[in-house]
Amino acid sequence: MTDVLAAVDESFFTDRSGGSCIQDNKLFCPGWVADNYDRYVEPTLQHLVLVGSAVAAGFLIAFALAILAHRHRFLSTPFLAGTGVLYTIPSISFFFLLLPVTGRGALTAIIALTAFNLQIIFRNITTGLRNVPSEVTEAATGIGMTRSQILWRVELPLAMPEIIAGLRIATVSTVALATLAVFANGGGLGTEIVTGSNITFKTGIIVAGSIAVAMAILFDGVLLLIGKLLAPWKRVAA
Amino acid sequence: MAHESASASPVRFDSVTKRYPGAETVAVEELSFEVPAGEICVLVGPSGCGKTTALRMVNRTVEMTSGDITIGGRSVKDGDPARLRREIGYVIQQIGLFPHRTIAENIGTVPSLLGWDKERIRKRSAELLELIGLDPEYGDRYPAQLSGGQQQRVGVARALAVDPTVMLMDEPFGAIDPINRSRLQNEFLRLQAELKKTVLFVTHDVDEAIKMGDRVAVLKKGGKLAQFATPTELLMEPADEFVEDFVGADRALKRLALMRIRDVRLWKAPVARAGDPCEPVREAVAAAEVPHALLVDGENRPLGWLSDRDLSRERVPVIPDSSAELLDADSVLRDGLAYLLQSGSLYAPVIDPRGRLLGVLSVEIISDFLASDEASESELTAAERPHD
Repeated sequence: MTDVLAAVDESFFTDRSGGSCIQDNKLFCPGWVADNYDRYVEPTLQHLVLVGSAVAAGFLIAFALAILAHRHRFLSTPFLAGTGVLYTIPSISFFFLLLPVTGRGALTAIIALTAFNLQIIFRNITTGLRNVPSEVTEAATGIGMTRSQILWRVELPLAMPEIIAGLRIATVSTVALATLAVFANGGGLGTEIVTGSNITFKTGIIVAGSIAVAMAILFDGVLLLIGKLLAPWKRVAA
Repeated sequence: MAHESASASPVRFDSVTKRYPGAETVAVEELSFEVPAGEICVLVGPSGCGKTTALRMVNRTVEMTSGDITIGGRSVKDGDPARLRREIGYVIQQIGLFPHRTIAENIGTVPSLLGWDKERIRKRSAELLELIGLDPEYGDRYPAQLSGGQQQRVGVARALAVDPTVMLMDEPFGAIDPINRSRLQNEFLRLQAELKKTVLFVTHDVDEAIKMGDRVAVLKKGGKLAQFATPTELLMEPADEFVEDFVGADRALKRLALMRIRDVRLWKAPVARAGDPCEPVREAVAAAEVPHALLVDGENRPLGWLSDRDLSRERVPVIPDSSAELLDADSVLRDGLAYLLQSGSLYAPVIDPRGRLLGVLSVEIISDFLASDEASESELTAAERPHD
């Protein structure tokens, strides 16, 4: 971990205002931000990749598990327990567990974040499928839909609001958790939060943190919108 | 109807038995009967008599243990159940419309499963919306935007989409309030008069069974057939004590549900239009069967009863003293009687589907009908005596 916490370049702490804001490590130094905003581009893009990959992979795996558990009810409990264990392992410990296998880097971080996601997404998909009114599936069967037609044409569309809700929670949590990827040398906004061994540079933390929050809000908003577009029937007044 | 009308097929139960795994008793035992093509057969009985199980074995949403069911001579056991179900209309009490699909899409479900092209599905949906009396604009709405009664109409339309020869209806109107239920029943009977499907209809309500059925199969606990008969036979000659109890002590009154208002001879009331001179109306009232005059519009649609005070003027007023609630000619006599008792009046104007006056129903018409029926029943029982 030494390279992460390596001594920080002296130039880091200069800004053109020449004031004492940085030396005093005040809460927020706008002058420094004006000089250094470009250093956030790369970590932000890395962060997007981390979150995007982890949520996408988590969704694909959780989706497959949820469909299996829906077909074969007895699988539901072991899947829930398994994803539950992965959810509870602190991500940092997970990084260290994975280090001997996948080495240091983004992949390790993505695997750990994916593992964390599974439970949230799995739970929401299965809940969504279970909440489909039984009379609707009964009618679907009775008028001649096959099981897979019922799944794809009736159950999944009706579960969509819950599935999207799960993705929203998973995405927002992953945006926050991905700041820890820095400890696996996985990049992301965490690199701009953990900048030195015994320095807490408040302005840097605030900027990186704000970007993460903005990213979470953005993702959440986009998913919310997608959810509304995919479930027009939910918008009509009952 | 503009669309091609497939002919109906008879449905035959042949020693059909259903035993659920692990259950001590059978749900349906050796059930045999035949529903002729184009008739409504009602399966009725107390809860747990296996009526729904019997119905669901027809489209194999429940698989029978032994015996066979044939539709037009073909066993339902041949072939793929999903394909079989697409050929059989299915309506359930909880309706089960797809909440995420528009009304038109709901109606078009089976056509789309069968691979019809979009244009044909759209046309068929519009046609069915018209058939069930919903405005075409409802096609773009979602089920949650419709009332319960409208949703159940759509449920029926969905079942009719590919013009099946057989319809299964499992307590289709059970969750609808009594007033709308009676309206939906009448509507369905009107549709059926036109479509002539073979219908299997499950209910626990004897009154509904008598009203809807061309034939009624009464089931008792354990899924045994207690009686298979026409409604009249059922009321006149219950096969055993169970059927007699089940049909109820008010059998005579139930016969009122067998007769539609349009089928009895209605009384005539003098009619008048706004602005007519009152003098001839007063004379007509004095001589008429119904001693009150009805105000009607130019289309002969009743607007209300004219009181003595209304008629004491020179000319008939535009607004009558008392309004009149109107009876649908397709309603059964029982509904008419219920209405008369509820409103506390002796007479009610009867209208055709377009709202025009057909005549007046009176309490006396109903009591005459009951009296004549009672007479025919006692003759019948007398004639049956030698058999015991």
